[in-house]
Amino acid sequence: MRFTISREKLQEGLTAVAASIPTKTTLPVLSNILVEATEKGIRLSGTDLDIAVSTEVAADVEQVGAITIPAKKLSEIARELPPSPVKIASSGEQRITLDCGRSHFKINGLPKDEFPSFPSVKFADSWRVKSGELQKLISHTSFAVSTEESRPILNGVLWELRPEFMRMVATNGHRLAKMEVPVSSSGAPQTSDLIVPPKALEQIRRLFPADEELEIARGENHLGFRSPFTAVYTRLIEGPYPNYDQVIPKDNDRVAICDKIALASALKRMSVIASDQTHRIRLSFNSAILRFSVQTPDLGEATDELPVKYTGDPLDIGFNAAYLLEILRYIPTDEVRLTFKAPERAATLEPEGWSEPGKYLCLVMPLRLVD
Amino acid sequence: MSSSLVSPLGRIAVLPSAVADQIAAGEVVERPASVVKELVENALDAGATSVEVDVEDGGKRLIRVSDDGTGMQRDDAILALARHATSKIRVASDLVGVASFGFRGEALPAISSVSMLRIDTAPADGEGTRIRSAAGELLGAEPAARRRGTTVEVSQLFYNAPARQRFLRGARSEWRAIADTLTTIALVRRDVRIVARQDGKAMFTLPPARDLRDRIAALWGGPYAERFLAVDDVSGPTHTCGLVERPADVGLASRRVHIAVNGRAIRDTGLVRAAEAAYRSTIPAGVRPALFLEIVMPANGIDVNVHPAKTEVRFHDRWVLERAVEAAVRRALGTFDSGAMFGRTAWPAAAAPVYGSPPVDVEAMRPAFDADGPLFVDEEPMETGAAPDSREPAAVDEPVPPLLQLRRTWMMFEAGDGVVLIDQHSAHERILYEQFMGALARGDAPSQRLLFPLTLHLTPEEEEAFESNSDLLQKLGFEAEAFGGHSILVHAVPAPHPRFDAERCLRETLASLTGDRFAAVHARHERLAATVACKAAVKAGDALSAGEMRALFVALRDTTLPAHDVHGRSTIVQLGWDELERRFGRR
Ligand SMILES: Nc1ncnc2c1ncn2[C@@H]1O[C@H](COP(=O)(O)OP(=O)(O)O)[C@@H](O)[C@H]1O
Ligand SMILES: [Mg+2]
Repeated sequence: MRFTISREKLQEGLTAVAASIPTKTTLPVLSNILVEATEKGIRLSGTDLDIAVSTEVAADVEQVGAITIPAKKLSEIARELPPSPVKIASSGEQRITLDCGRSHFKINGLPKDEFPSFPSVKFADSWRVKSGELQKLISHTSFAVSTEESRPILNGVLWELRPEFMRMVATNGHRLAKMEVPVSSSGAPQTSDLIVPPKALEQIRRLFPADEELEIARGENHLGFRSPFTAVYTRLIEGPYPNYDQVIPKDNDRVAICDKIALASALKRMSVIASDQTHRIRLSFNSAILRFSVQTPDLGEATDELPVKYTGDPLDIGFNAAYLLEILRYIPTDEVRLTFKAPERAATLEPEGWSEPGKYLCLVMPLRLVD
Repeated sequence: MSSSLVSPLGRIAVLPSAVADQIAAGEVVERPASVVKELVENALDAGATSVEVDVEDGGKRLIRVSDDGTGMQRDDAILALARHATSKIRVASDLVGVASFGFRGEALPAISSVSMLRIDTAPADGEGTRIRSAAGELLGAEPAARRRGTTVEVSQLFYNAPARQRFLRGARSEWRAIADTLTTIALVRRDVRIVARQDGKAMFTLPPARDLRDRIAALWGGPYAERFLAVDDVSGPTHTCGLVERPADVGLASRRVHIAVNGRAIRDTGLVRAAEAAYRSTIPAGVRPALFLEIVMPANGIDVNVHPAKTEVRFHDRWVLERAVEAAVRRALGTFDSGAMFGRTAWPAAAAPVYGSPPVDVEAMRPAFDADGPLFVDEEPMETGAAPDSREPAAVDEPVPPLLQLRRTWMMFEAGDGVVLIDQHSAHERILYEQFMGALARGDAPSQRLLFPLTLHLTPEEEEAFESNSDLLQKLGFEAEAFGGHSILVHAVPAPHPRFDAERCLRETLASLTGDRFAAVHARHERLAATVACKAAVKAGDALSAGEMRALFVALRDTTLPAHDVHGRSTIVQLGWDELERRFGRR
């Protein structure tokens, strides 16, 4: 293997792959990056066995070949190199030499055979999605996944593909976020339900420019995303995902419309006094006033008020303020619409007056209040 | 602590028999130690600042107590040997709140009746008196010069009562009893210099001490004194102070218990038990702490005239007093300072190097903030966009020191006198335990309703545990109902922290509560709170972010017993700079 690459291209490739390299691993080869030189250029790949990222960068390949190199060292070297072309050549199965200007390195690696092979995903049956649409779904839902180990399904984001739209849903059982967008991209998306680890989605969000068309294909337990130069593979979480539709309230008849920023700042003020662990606060809706109150033993109490548009009977309901604040962070409009049924039933939050195509809905389950 | 012991009344008078009869009668002279006790107390009552005790053959051959107190006039010295002759009280009402050790006027006559006695005494330097008696018979009273003070010499104890002499133990065992007696007195009267010799050999030499810890150090060595936490608490009219053993050290050295009330050492199991109750959940069952407690309370709340040796007293409101003592000890244990001291556990000092324990493995692991993946889903917002920044406002409380996570098990920080390590699981467990106990008492645990109810399939034993604890589980925030076929349906769960895994916690709690049906209510509360806290707390091996460590630290600081987990293990271990310097040869 022998090739010459610009310092910038090398750095670009390494940055794309670096995030998929585990910082701590029992399998030494996983902390290495796979470097493959082909006729087209070079391909850099990394994996933590759940997610694999692979990217192609332009290079002058003199001799094809492959080897794995410690990712951290290679990245550190690339960062410090002078602005000259970088010559990389294998010397034997387990070592490379790297030359740049007057700098010279010999780095020990591991043979390419030790590197795990990528999941087989056939892009022949792929469908296409606009990267920006996917990113929009990811960033509005994946925050809501669960981190509890005992319900692994909820650790993933449900991605539903339908002929006219696609939808992502995430929940930790206390709150839920759901967004759908009409499918405008070319290709014929299949009807499919996938449960994707949020870590993989984060790579998708990070790696692909918003206007890029992504090819997506499903293997047996894996999913592959591909642009002309970069590919991401991820393990899928085995379903079935709980029937979320059943818990989305359809008959919430108390509706409040509030200014998002005013609501968030009142919640933040209340949070100062709310217990650090549970963030419990009380919301009391009564005609045009939303009254906040919080009492924490040994700490104190606080109240606040916010004018709102409210229809329905008066209501007292408790929430984890952190959940409400978190959702407000993702609400894309200035006003937010909240609906309720009863103090022990799910509340919904939606953007009010959203002009973009698509639907966004968040659910929050209340906290018990004691009188 | 010291009370004025010089008699305000001065001269000795024989008590009217009516008064004498009100005084509990009893045999004060049992063995050499009781003689020593009476004589030393007399010396202290006479305002001595220095007391020297000489003993031969365990006190069987000779006991000599010399003091630099007020001394006696000739007539008084003679009268002192008469029964119920005392200078310390006159009428029955003086018994209330009596401050002197003696007041019955029966010690000297009793001692003199079973020994050969000699008293050399002088109210001022020079003109003194020597009195001799044998078997209670006055043999003579002649002038003899000496310095101000009194020397009482008791020889051949029980020489005229062979039946009692036979009951005396060997010299060593009699000496041990004498040493105990002197120790008790030395702890109470730290202002007085006390010297004791046995068969001419100095056994202890105690200079006047600044405080209780100094006196303990003089008695048993500096390292022993280091193992104690200061108690100092006022509750109503009761002031409790003293020293109690750090929970981590309990059980590692001989257990010594010393209780004094209004300057009088007493024996009282109720107060000891109250102090021990304060250790509940900080030390394993079955081990008992060393205690040195001194209580000051109004004289009219206590009756000392119960026992001839005056070591037992009667309290008018024992319950209130015991609660005051318990609260005082609990408060002392509730400080970070009560955490285990690294390297300070290898008492006694006589045995090998005291600081010989192996060094702590302080391999600093990668700090948690660059750990893989966010631990809280809401920690790193994926999109900040135009949405308002909803990060928690920074705490404005006391500053939190920088914390470093070690081996994903401990948090380390620098404190005033050294390095402190906090066990993250124990700490969190303690925080949650107190939170849950509060929730059980108030019934206001936050309960998060679930979008998807959990279904748990239980074993018959677990089902029984669920049924017998369902009221308490409900108070903790678990809303669950039986679902038939050994299943329960959970609709709402507590939300004690963002990492909380409700399903696993409930499962493990029920599994470990099996067979717990008939426990008493309070025990059941504690057991459940402890179990749920244990299951809900972060574990060793969990990487903590900087924010989580801070939150843990602050919450731990607010608990009542930060230094101890609910199983009695240490939550906090301290490694003092002095110890570090010693290890690096800087001292
Ligand atoms: N070491 C001493 N110095 C001065 N006076 C003493 C001393 N020992 C005894 N006395 C006097 O002798 C009295 C009788 O002593 P004792 O029989 O022990 O009775 P009590 O101590 O109960 O008064 C005391 O009240 C005290 O006045
Ligand atoms: Mg006396």
